[in-house]
Amino acid sequence: MDQERMVPEAQDQAGSTTTATLPPGREANGRPLLEMQGIRKAFPGVQALDGAELTLKAGEILALVGENGAGKSTLIKVLTGLYQPEAGEILIEGMEVRFPTPRDAMKHGIAHMPQERNLIPYFSVGENIMLESLPRGRFGLVDYDRIHREARGWLDMLEVQVESRASVDDLSIAQRQLVEIARAISREGRILVLDEPTASLTPHETETLFGVLRRLRDQGVGIIFVSHKLEEVFALCDNIVVLRDGKNAGNKTAIAEIDRDGVVTRMVGRAPVTQELPERTEGRGGPILELQHVNTSSGGRDISLTLHQGEIVGLYGLVGAGRTELARAIIGIDKVTGGQVLVKGKKATIRSVKSALARHRIGYVSENRKEEGLIQMLPLVSNVSITIWRKLQNLVGWISSRLERKTVQPFVERLEIKAPSLNTVVASLSGGNQQKVSLAKWLAAGVDVLIIDEPTVGIDVRTKANLHELIWELVQRGLGILLISSDMPEIVRLADRILVMRRGEIKGEIANDHDYEKTSELIMGFIH
Amino acid sequence: MRRPNFITIWDRAGLAVVVLSSWAVFAIFAEGFTSKFNVFSVGRLVSILIVVGLAQTVVMGIGDINLSVGAVGGVVAMFFGWLVAPTQLGTAGLASGAPQDVTALPGLGINWQFAFILALLFGAALGFINGWLIVRSGLHGFIVTLGTMGVFSGSMYIITKVKAFRNLPEGFLGFGKMKFFDLLSPLVFIMLGVVVFLFFFLRSTTPGRQMLASGANRRAALASGINVNRIVISTHMLSAALAGLAGIMLAARIGSAIPTIGTGGGGDWLLPSFAASAIGGTLFTGGSVNVVGTMFGGLLLGTVENGLNLLRVPGFWVQMITGLVLLLAVILDRIRVVAVERSRMGAAQ
Repeated sequence: MDQERMVPEAQDQAGSTTTATLPPGREANGRPLLEMQGIRKAFPGVQALDGAELTLKAGEILALVGENGAGKSTLIKVLTGLYQPEAGEILIEGMEVRFPTPRDAMKHGIAHMPQERNLIPYFSVGENIMLESLPRGRFGLVDYDRIHREARGWLDMLEVQVESRASVDDLSIAQRQLVEIARAISREGRILVLDEPTASLTPHETETLFGVLRRLRDQGVGIIFVSHKLEEVFALCDNIVVLRDGKNAGNKTAIAEIDRDGVVTRMVGRAPVTQELPERTEGRGGPILELQHVNTSSGGRDISLTLHQGEIVGLYGLVGAGRTELARAIIGIDKVTGGQVLVKGKKATIRSVKSALARHRIGYVSENRKEEGLIQMLPLVSNVSITIWRKLQNLVGWISSRLERKTVQPFVERLEIKAPSLNTVVASLSGGNQQKVSLAKWLAAGVDVLIIDEPTVGIDVRTKANLHELIWELVQRGLGILLISSDMPEIVRLADRILVMRRGEIKGEIANDHDYEKTSELIMGFIH
Repeated sequence: MRRPNFITIWDRAGLAVVVLSSWAVFAIFAEGFTSKFNVFSVGRLVSILIVVGLAQTVVMGIGDINLSVGAVGGVVAMFFGWLVAPTQLGTAGLASGAPQDVTALPGLGINWQFAFILALLFGAALGFINGWLIVRSGLHGFIVTLGTMGVFSGSMYIITKVKAFRNLPEGFLGFGKMKFFDLLSPLVFIMLGVVVFLFFFLRSTTPGRQMLASGANRRAALASGINVNRIVISTHMLSAALAGLAGIMLAARIGSAIPTIGTGGGGDWLLPSFAASAIGGTLFTGGSVNVVGTMFGGLLLGTVENGLNLLRVPGFWVQMITGLVLLLAVILDRIRVVAVERSRMGAAQ
């Protein structure tokens, strides 16, 4: 393997590589930090990358965007040594390199924060950050004091308020994400690849991260930033590369020379239609879920809110404000320790999801699709029907699979879930379609109240718009929806009223007139 | 619909092909393998092995483990023996004039069919203890059943003073010796009944599906309104009832209830129970069980052992070869799963 890598180096000393094919954008005095050319990678039945290319200069933040399935992640995995391309070459400062394993990529100074969560459970924050280069002390033993000292430095840089000695299992999702970012940055690579780093970060945390990234850029690091959030791309990046169907859609473009519509046009291959949500014709009905001075075992204090039929109440707050915890207390996973919960005007004590569903017709679409929302190894049909198996069974307890499919099919059609068949294993569906499946199972159960937690995290623009319409339509049909979201544009677009939560308390309520500038300012006023 | 190709057929019938080939090999080389007596005796042996395997398969379905299958089998068999054995240690089952058997115990002498049902319920009660302790302590079944395994068999040894119930009712003994077509034991039909029941139970009933859902992803099952604790307890009850059934089946085969059923004597049940499940393709991680696979897994283990015995292969060799069969079967299965995944991915696009 080493020899393979030696050969191109020798060629380079002779000055014979790639001189003729240098793409634009290279620095005047040298070769670009990274070039990927004509990368092809196929999986059974799909050409994931079909001649994709990418150039990254030192001191550049490059956005890599595209819809789900466009090939972004595959390209990143080729760059980081997880996949071997069938064709194409990777050059670092003009030298051809090959990465048979992720370790080889690291040796060439490529640091990567993958999209999938990658922390080692039970290990401490510090150990996870320093995993690739655990410092040794006396007798060759791992020097824990140094680990935690060095890890502290990286955590402080990102302003993460967690103990380096804490177990990663005790962290919130946002904190885990920050630890992963710290791990990637701690490798001090020349090339930093961040795949959806802000998916569960608050605006403030995101801004801190961007500050760090800009500093790294000014120090000459080349950064590839993969994100679905176009606002962030425009706020942070210098240039943008769009992938569509495994190919480049247009050349690398300076961010100043393109607008949002231009990017979306490249992503979807046609001009975007700005979809205004239609006016809702049904007014709101009576209250269906009321909390009166509720305290929860998970830190919620004196929470009062009212949700009416045919209404979307948005619950905004920073990650860690206690919104998910409140939802979990409402549906009976966590405990309500004080105050009153009323469902359709009647006092209710909800001790389990089962009773929330069967007795009070309340459902909860989890923010954690992978671990809590869906059973990844089961087929689509079972994931939808899981809430209604008891209703489907006949007198002797038999569930007819024909009846089951007949019951599930309309929901699959209504939500436009794209799957080869009802028996397709959920794990193989795209994130957007998985999200629709986890909505479908509550719709199939016929709930009146739906608590939807971060419905569009990690979901591409088109599917996101699609999900928004869907939520809109559900309310039109008379559901009451409590929408938890950290995505400000989303909550301003959808909610009728917005409640702002902070540290387990509701800080304020805003009647939403869908004016983004004004409403977002009001929201921020309650948070800070 | 996809056209069945080699891979999808192998997916369904691969293990059956392996079992049939092993039969063919032994039929040719092992004298007496196809004799009516051998088929009868292998049938009884394998049926018990399969039911034990299924007792493990169901708990594996919820991602748990039951180390107490053998202990429960022994305890339930002894409980059954106590229920049905005559109240007086007479000479009923012994040759007249023989001295009274000092290793035997008196029982309650109740109707054996009724006792059979009581004994199964007793097994389920032992399973309830397992499940309840697991749910209450939050510990993994491995630890809990490691403990109850010792408690169950230990207390049974203390109570029975390691004596046996020998004078079992004629009807029950006759049942153990019964032959259909001069070839098949009723134990085979009991086993087939259990296989069919579990197959449809897990596939098409609410509790069965909830078991698999809980095994595949406990948190998601809980968040979908499934009472996971109740599922864990009832699965352990089912498992222990099956282990108890196997214990009674073994008592029928050997004609008495001896304390070492399940844990000694005929060999410990623990390893074969995992081996049959694993060969059959049931995942240790839960969520995916293969009832029919466990049946073939048990068949394979039983026939290989029987065939090797007929070939007069020494016992230690049999042990080693059985281990090799297990390894080979699971490696082949791994290859199969990967091949199936590939062909599915291709077909999905």
